[in-house]
Amino acid sequence: MLDQLQFLIENLPHLIIGFPGQRPGGLVMSIILTIVGLGLGFFLAVPLALGQLASIAPVRWISRLLVDLFRGIPLILLLVLVFQVIGSGRFGFVLEPRGAAIISLTLYSAAYQAEILRAGFTALPQQLDEIGRMFGTSRWQRLWHIHIPTVFRTMRPALTGQTISLFKDTSVVIVVGMSELMMSARILLGNDVNNAPYWVGVYLTVGVLYFLAAYALSKYAQSIEQTNQILGRQTINTLP
Amino acid sequence: MDSWLTADMIELLRSGLILTLLVTVITTIGAMVMGIAAGTASMLGGRFVQRIARIFIEIHRNIPALVLVIFWAFAVPNVFPQQVRQQLFFNNTFWDALSNGTGLALPYYFLAGTFGLMLNTSGYLAEIFRSGVNTVPAEQFESARTLGANRRVVFWQLMLPSGLTAAFPAISTRLIHNFKNCALLSLVAVPVFFHGIQTAISKTFRATEFLLLATLVYLILTALIAALLRYVETRLPMGGHHA
Repeated sequence: MLDQLQFLIENLPHLIIGFPGQRPGGLVMSIILTIVGLGLGFFLAVPLALGQLASIAPVRWISRLLVDLFRGIPLILLLVLVFQVIGSGRFGFVLEPRGAAIISLTLYSAAYQAEILRAGFTALPQQLDEIGRMFGTSRWQRLWHIHIPTVFRTMRPALTGQTISLFKDTSVVIVVGMSELMMSARILLGNDVNNAPYWVGVYLTVGVLYFLAAYALSKYAQSIEQTNQILGRQTINTLP
Repeated sequence: MDSWLTADMIELLRSGLILTLLVTVITTIGAMVMGIAAGTASMLGGRFVQRIARIFIEIHRNIPALVLVIFWAFAVPNVFPQQVRQQLFFNNTFWDALSNGTGLALPYYFLAGTFGLMLNTSGYLAEIFRSGVNTVPAEQFESARTLGANRRVVFWQLMLPSGLTAAFPAISTRLIHNFKNCALLSLVAVPVFFHGIQTAISKTFRATEFLLLATLVYLILTALIAALLRYVETRLPMGGHHA
């Protein structure tokens, strides 16, 4: 029991920030992957969401197809697909596990964010657009200064939920050998038979680390939701 | 047929697909029962039961499915010394019988992985069911109480039908997620469809063909499951929502 504890304490830094002398790994890498995937995904999600509401039919079809494609297959398959097909050198470049992980997480989160944003754009009050037009703004000005900020605010709870979900999904990048929390645990335990007694402790710790990060985020999401409800009521009351 | 899709490969993928669907059915049923039970316990139970149910729900919602799967499949047997482990989890008459019956080389991994997925999905479903019940107007619970209904009647007549109907779109989303999560069992050596794809790639080196095939199969299956769930949704009791 005591050696269990000692093993865990000694290796906890490896689970959190990775192994010394290597690129950051562990929980820090899981968080970095989440932020990068989410951020890049957002910029892809806006055109995908608007594309689904476009008046030109082929644009609608293509955006719908892309969203359904990335939402319809498991992330683990998308990762292997990007890593072994797109990044195999066939298209003139070879992807490292890191690149494949980032591209896959971006595409995956873009599709889910696009669905959320689409709901937000559909629910935008007509008056907002009319007010914008009264001030003589162009279409893009209204999109960038009115629509996107409003949608972003109203959809923030859903987007935070998506963030939590993406954070947990980063555990799957182990399939391309990217070193994040799950992979750090696997490297730590290795194939050493002597490490067998530590498996439960290590994976419990991994679970606790994921839990703490995800739970903290979900509590944050709840608090946003509450302030949003108050703000939302004020917004509705002040609309003409 | 093309040279990459030989009869052997078709058989490999066919059995993988059947196993994936089997895992989906088992986890769906198990997680629905466990999720509704946990969700109900967190609403109707005594203080102690409520707390236990909340802990169960929060743990299984906030830990990635993969961690739960690996924990139950790979970590738990390692608690025991080598000899005992072999006896308990892999080599005894129970596992041999199961192995012969199902054709799985290591049925423990199958059971443990399925259990991990089930726990994960049940945590989500419990929370979804709770939010569904929360949309039922409070007056309905008050009138039930006024009419002298006990907890059992309230659960079967009010919470279950109304809560399930209200929460069904969110339940559908989660069940489709659950289906996609079955691919994770390939990481604990369960020969599900995705595992079959990976085996096929390592045997034939035709990554592109097999991965595009897998994508196509997944897109068709998610569409079919989504259609099935939409059909189920139209057949649900309307509960108290007409009132």
